[in-house]
Amino acid sequence: MESIKKVMVFGSGPIVIGQAAEFDFSGSQACKALKEEGIYTILVNSNPATIQTDTDMADKVYLEPLHPTIVEKIIEKERPDAILPTMGGQTGLNLALELHRRGILDKYGIKLLGSNIRTIEIAEDRELFAEAMAEINEPVTKCKAVNSVDEAVEFAEEIGYPVIVRPAFTLGGTGGGIAHNKEELIDITSKGLKYSIINQVLIDESVLGWKEFELEVMRDRKDTCIIVCGMENIDPMGIHTGESIVVSPIQTLPDEFYQKLRNAAIKIIRHLGIEGGCNIQFAVNKEMTEYRVIEVNPRVSRSSALASKATGYPIARIAAKIAIGKTLDEILNDVTKETPASFEPTLDYVVVKIPRWPFDKFKTVDKKLGTSMKSTGEVMAIGRSFEEALQKAIRSLDIGRFGIIGDGKDKDYTDEEIEEILKNPTDERIFVIAKALEKGWSVEKIVELTDIDEFFIKKIKNIVDMKKELEKLKEEIKKLNA
Amino acid sequence: MDMEKLKEILLKAKKLGFSDKQIANLLGMDEIEVRDLRKKLNIIPLYKMVDTCAAEFEAKTPYYYSAYETFVYKEQDESNPSDRKKVIIIGSGPIRIGQGIEFDYSSVHAVLALKEMGIEAIIINNNPETVSTDYDTSDKLYFEPITFEEVLNIAEREKEKGELLGVIVQFGGQTAINLAMKLKNAGVNILGTTPENINAAEDREEFSKLLKKLNIPQAEGGTAYTKEEALEIAKRIGYPVLVRPSYVLGGRAMQIVYSEDELIEYMEEAVKVSEEHPVLIDKFLEDAIELDVDAVCDGESVLIGAIMEHIEEAGVHSGDSATVIPPQTLPKEIIDTVIDYTAKLARALNIVGLLNVQYAVKDGVVYVLEANPRASRTVPYVSKSVGIPLAKLATKIMLGKKLEELIKDYDVEKVAEKVWIAKPKYVSIKEAVFPFQKLPGVDPVLGPEMKSTGEAIGIDKDFGRAYYKAQLSANMELPIVGNVFISVRDRDKKHIVDVAKKLHELGFTIYATEGTAKVLRENGIPAILVKKISESPNDNILKLMRDGKMHLIINTSSGKKAKSDGYYIRRAAVDLGIPYITTIPGAKAAVKAIEAVKTGELSVYSLDELDARIKNRF
Repeated sequence: MESIKKVMVFGSGPIVIGQAAEFDFSGSQACKALKEEGIYTILVNSNPATIQTDTDMADKVYLEPLHPTIVEKIIEKERPDAILPTMGGQTGLNLALELHRRGILDKYGIKLLGSNIRTIEIAEDRELFAEAMAEINEPVTKCKAVNSVDEAVEFAEEIGYPVIVRPAFTLGGTGGGIAHNKEELIDITSKGLKYSIINQVLIDESVLGWKEFELEVMRDRKDTCIIVCGMENIDPMGIHTGESIVVSPIQTLPDEFYQKLRNAAIKIIRHLGIEGGCNIQFAVNKEMTEYRVIEVNPRVSRSSALASKATGYPIARIAAKIAIGKTLDEILNDVTKETPASFEPTLDYVVVKIPRWPFDKFKTVDKKLGTSMKSTGEVMAIGRSFEEALQKAIRSLDIGRFGIIGDGKDKDYTDEEIEEILKNPTDERIFVIAKALEKGWSVEKIVELTDIDEFFIKKIKNIVDMKKELEKLKEEIKKLNA
Repeated sequence: MDMEKLKEILLKAKKLGFSDKQIANLLGMDEIEVRDLRKKLNIIPLYKMVDTCAAEFEAKTPYYYSAYETFVYKEQDESNPSDRKKVIIIGSGPIRIGQGIEFDYSSVHAVLALKEMGIEAIIINNNPETVSTDYDTSDKLYFEPITFEEVLNIAEREKEKGELLGVIVQFGGQTAINLAMKLKNAGVNILGTTPENINAAEDREEFSKLLKKLNIPQAEGGTAYTKEEALEIAKRIGYPVLVRPSYVLGGRAMQIVYSEDELIEYMEEAVKVSEEHPVLIDKFLEDAIELDVDAVCDGESVLIGAIMEHIEEAGVHSGDSATVIPPQTLPKEIIDTVIDYTAKLARALNIVGLLNVQYAVKDGVVYVLEANPRASRTVPYVSKSVGIPLAKLATKIMLGKKLEELIKDYDVEKVAEKVWIAKPKYVSIKEAVFPFQKLPGVDPVLGPEMKSTGEAIGIDKDFGRAYYKAQLSANMELPIVGNVFISVRDRDKKHIVDVAKKLHELGFTIYATEGTAKVLRENGIPAILVKKISESPNDNILKLMRDGKMHLIINTSSGKKAKSDGYYIRRAAVDLGIPYITTIPGAKAAVKAIEAVKTGELSVYSLDELDARIKNRF
């Protein structure tokens, strides 16, 4: 590998929904990793609240806008050999693309590390992404942008119902929905086109209700690949992974199907030529006979921060070392200091992640969860069982709850309210499931309404049953004291 | 009752993740009673290691989580408390609006300070995204909920060996502060400002008494337990008033109310007021300049990190307002008064560590709005802007160091006996960043309730360039040429004339709705009339915006609860990515920024250029 002495790292700028503190974490790890390798590190980030922008984190820190005009001035001043954009979230990738499009990378002879322009473009553009997946026979959901009802109907008949309709650019976020048949599609599309500022809607193949899984993959220049972490979204497809309660290790996938996803993930990271970390999202049908590749993020992400903390494997640090040419077998896992980074992590505990929503600050916002992110952050809890980790995660949210049920803060819901929230999830759904079970609703019925795997509903039932046992215990203690 | 059976049930509950609070509620006991019972039955948590390899190899830098086991042997516990002097830092948990990455920053700096002092730094946090839960940040990390039960469990474990000097609550935001008194009552030493003094600043009436005693002005206010009382209080102190409910109905929260009719409407629709849920009413200082001050105190000596002048008008939450260091419009006597009040408050509250004070300046009088004896959201911004790590200094002070000794290496100005202030080298502007793009339907207007998720900075030699960069960092690229749409509420029409005149001089074409256009034309500024949405459903400002004809939107809100034209205009600006401004001061600042950039080049500065004039690097 040619000599690289000076590297510019992009931060992710200010905290926004969908891009939060995890990039301070990954950027800090990356800066430390590069410095360990004797590389002069230049960091650009406009967020003053980050640790990575402390003066001793990188050799040079610019608290400046992550905007191509400004970054070009910094490049002109510092003359880096390479840029590492994959630690700055989507902001970092978009900035790298824009610098490329403006010819700035070529002008200053700058190499991109960790990813390349083609890969970034593929991950960003749905058509390019679908083409790339087709090249390796990996299935994706079909999607098309349409400007008329006729076009929508034509495409829906081609891919089959139900389909998801999403207007492009709407006022007040209205106009989307799920169409189960032609009549519904005509109705939803008509409204969507009307509300869309650019008169366009996206028609998407529906994998609504399917299971969702994520794999964090790592690959080096010698083509060694490992799966760092598998994560299961408790909430089914239809809810953004950032909005889902997530559990690791994967709990409900048979090993043979897990191997299929694993093989697909390795194929994908190899085909895209990614060196470093990568997050891949899959949808799997309930019968576990089919899957779709939903998304590939050729960079560290919020999920990789979660995967790092869940496993103890420092993804960003290792990705940065791979980016400058190191290989997995050459890099030491800093946590054990004995195993090489090519050693796949093993978990002997359960991790649960729950998002933290800002609905207490935006009281008029629609609380329904869906395909776009609304949460501002998340908590992670570790336990010996799913039940324990789930209840600890609920306590960590700092919303005044001390467990999923029985902490004196339970709300009452009518049966109609329960059914509505189970079908159309909000931030309260996890509590509503517990309440439904307490009221005697069957596991089967709850599974049917939520599309959440039976495994998890039964685990929550264990907690609800324990609540009843404690109430019974109270009666016995009362008798004893009488 | 059979104690064995009791133990069996409680242990099973703990293994299923039941907290002491849940068990207490279900058994009709209180949390401490359950805790004592648990201990008597020998049901205590063990700490297990996260090591990436399921114990196949010995881990060097592990972190821990708690679990309950059927059989308890000490050897099963993997946390191995050290024999060192140690301190526990309570982290801030998940990122949410009002408590974000800024507190994590302060926690990490506390760790750095402790390490420099040779003290073992232990963090408790549950946020997987942050640097504070990075495996190589603290000496030890407990990945646990931040609750009284869990923190006390960890403190008790760590006390078993070595010396637990105490717990730091100043860096975990409100989450940690809320635990301070309970922890102290349970025998845990709270480092820094005492829980009693924390309460003195937080308790409304106690704080009010303190201000009177110190002869520091405070905006008039009162607490209303009925609608009639609310009206009476508002009448006595005079409109406008800021109304703050303790129990919220119908999606309404804090609001600025300008008349009795508005207050009646608010009280009847928005809040449930009663003995248990009073409404706080304060005089609203309209057109006041708001200030934030971050300071460090060792109980006696005070260092003022910065006085941050809010760019947004009073009435916008401090976390949502753009702010500038150093102040741009304050006369020296006001600055001297702010310094004096801050020092007095710090000493009176016996602050040991950090203090944030919020002021409003109106007609030459400095009013105190609030004092928070802990890290604030602005600590990292101030630390970066002035080149002094406030959280580190605060931590060392909590461990007994004297401020005067600590600041010897920094270029600070002595302004009074045992009072210093930092000297910023450049103009630093912090701009808030909002989640409106991801929250469809939310009105992006600013008010007294905080809405921002984060912030970004702009640094340059002068205000205009710094503000331009801050907007750029907040994803708002101010145009240098083009068309501007202006539509402001009646109260703002007299202020908008100067803004519009300047924009016109800078070469912009101005579009306005009827009322605003009339005022502009009367002042000699050409304005193209645009129809409101309600006037013409198809040929209105929205069409121009959609067609890409508008490059900047200036629109202030009338504050009416119904969705108005203004709402749709602001919302469209968010959705279409057009730079928009919803306050007059923001518009004035934007004009300065545009002018500065039109007349000169932007430069870039690295952090060590900001630090270059400090005697020693920290």
